[in-house]
Amino acid sequence: MEALLIPFLDATIRTATPLAYAALGELVTERSGVINIGMEGIIIAGCLGGLVAAGAGGAAMGFLGGALAGAGMAAIFAFFVLRLRADAIITGTALTLLGLGLTGTLYRGLFGLEGAALGTPSIAPIALPGLSSLPLVGPVFFTQTGMTYLLYLFVPALAWWLARTQAGLALRAVGESRAAALAAGLDVQRLRWGAILFGGAMGGLCGATLVLAQVGTFTEGMSAGRGFIAIAIVVLGRWRTVGTTLAALIFGGAFALQYLLQAAGWALPYHLFLALPYLLTLILLAALRGRAEAPAELASQESWSRA
Amino acid sequence: MFYSWVRRSGIGFINIGLLYLTACSGGERSGGRESAFQVALLTPGPISDQAWNATAYHGLERIRDSLGASISHIQTKTPAEFEENFRQYGTKGYDLVIGHGFEFQDAARRVGPQFPKTLFVTTGGEGTGPNVVALSFAFDEPSYLAGMAAAAITKTGVIGGIGGTELPPVKLGFEAFLAGARLVRPDIRLLVAYLGNWDDAGAGKEQALAQLNQKADVIYQNADAAGLGVFQAVRQAKGVWVIGSNADQNRLAPEVTLGSVLIDVPHAFLLLARQAQLRAVRGPTIHFGTASDVVRWVPNPLAPAPPAKVLAQMDSVRAVFAAGGRPVVTPR
Repeated sequence: MEALLIPFLDATIRTATPLAYAALGELVTERSGVINIGMEGIIIAGCLGGLVAAGAGGAAMGFLGGALAGAGMAAIFAFFVLRLRADAIITGTALTLLGLGLTGTLYRGLFGLEGAALGTPSIAPIALPGLSSLPLVGPVFFTQTGMTYLLYLFVPALAWWLARTQAGLALRAVGESRAAALAAGLDVQRLRWGAILFGGAMGGLCGATLVLAQVGTFTEGMSAGRGFIAIAIVVLGRWRTVGTTLAALIFGGAFALQYLLQAAGWALPYHLFLALPYLLTLILLAALRGRAEAPAELASQESWSRA
Repeated sequence: MFYSWVRRSGIGFINIGLLYLTACSGGERSGGRESAFQVALLTPGPISDQAWNATAYHGLERIRDSLGASISHIQTKTPAEFEENFRQYGTKGYDLVIGHGFEFQDAARRVGPQFPKTLFVTTGGEGTGPNVVALSFAFDEPSYLAGMAAAAITKTGVIGGIGGTELPPVKLGFEAFLAGARLVRPDIRLLVAYLGNWDDAGAGKEQALAQLNQKADVIYQNADAAGLGVFQAVRQAKGVWVIGSNADQNRLAPEVTLGSVLIDVPHAFLLLARQAQLRAVRGPTIHFGTASDVVRWVPNPLAPAPPAKVLAQMDSVRAVFAAGGRPVVTPR
């Protein structure tokens, strides 16, 4: 049993890590009352940014490059939506298409047809002394890459920041009622710019994690829908930090289970396995149906065009 | 002032502009004058995948270099795009338009009759008319030989196959892989998994790790760009092997690659283009098998060779294929 369980849980954490980065970034953006459905384009930009920067200055530089590339994409989104007051859904869609097309073109320009091959600098898992020798928990939670450990610190920090700090409160206020936030003297535009850029940097880190901590190479379109999954994760996590993190784990688990079931050689149509994560989302969303907890401003396109 | 103008004139234009930029980034044109022999290629994925799509683009380049053709390439994803681009190239009067994959078949059948002067070719599938032609590769023959090589080197008796989606040629490749393996080692077990796409290298790697955990020690990848993730998983593990497909992938990771199931697409494309230039293509389906040397099993010289007995067996099987024999497979 343990021979199956540990690789499964290990794969769960590994798969959930990049998803959690993107979802937490999207969470912060949405808490400010703006939905950025261009996360997919941001992630793929983070993948390429991470690859290029890592090639120039090593893996650590790669993560920085990924975050910057993601924030750069998010800046385009913020400019269109906040400054030019364009429709956020259309802008987000365009951002996704732009990201996928632009990274493909740049990748071929930079690396030619031979590609970056498999020699990308990457970070290896680190077994944390002491903790990693705990039974079950050790090999699952404490033999991961630094990006997973960073997340262990980041999640409580973000939860605290949103709940307890003045800036966090201001961000949530903007997301709940722009008018009230304005009346209270909050700089709505600035807060939203900040939230969108932060979301972009996190999406970029998701991409860099994929390239530098998980796969060790870049392929065009390798974001493969993770941006849209991140948006679903935020909904499933009910716009809460811990909830979103758990939802990312559930998705990671569903993907890991899918890999495991296919590898176990069951003679079922593979489409069933591939659909598993999405079926699970639908079931969970239906089961957890209750009081709507989305930031109120998300529903109000009008609020963006008057910001 | 500028912003209010933009707002009034409809920001949608700018967004559409972005979309257009993206849509165009995949296409490129090169080559000479309008009168030249014009050849277009549609690939279902990025030509930087070092596999199925890359080898097609090399084929297109070879047509340009050897025949002085004017070439164009575009990357397409959905069946609607297949048809639209076929139609575009037909309207522009291209002589030869290649849809690189089984999945282009339906679009070629629909568009072909409307542009009788253009030769529409799909790699894979069946041709249907004078200008709707298919190249059929006997992918199962080298896959069968790969299975024999895999069976000779596996210690656990478990081998794996990872595909992008379950296209008939991909599925047939895995079936032949198993049949070949069983010839050498009757008790062998094959794990087959599909990723659902051809781009997600992360999924490719995780799926390979899951198969390795199930004791597979040779994995045959046929997932294009996503297959690079399979290579990465095998490189991380110890004492396990990967088999490449479509292109010669032995150079990608020479230390862990057993060999490649090669389709010499550039060679096939050049043969096709020469005939097309002379208007001498004999369709509707052109078969390329072991006899034509377009499909072959390319062992990695750096990997251990199978025992002499298996090598001799492989030689005799190859001779049967070259003489027109076909692998016998049991559908899964």
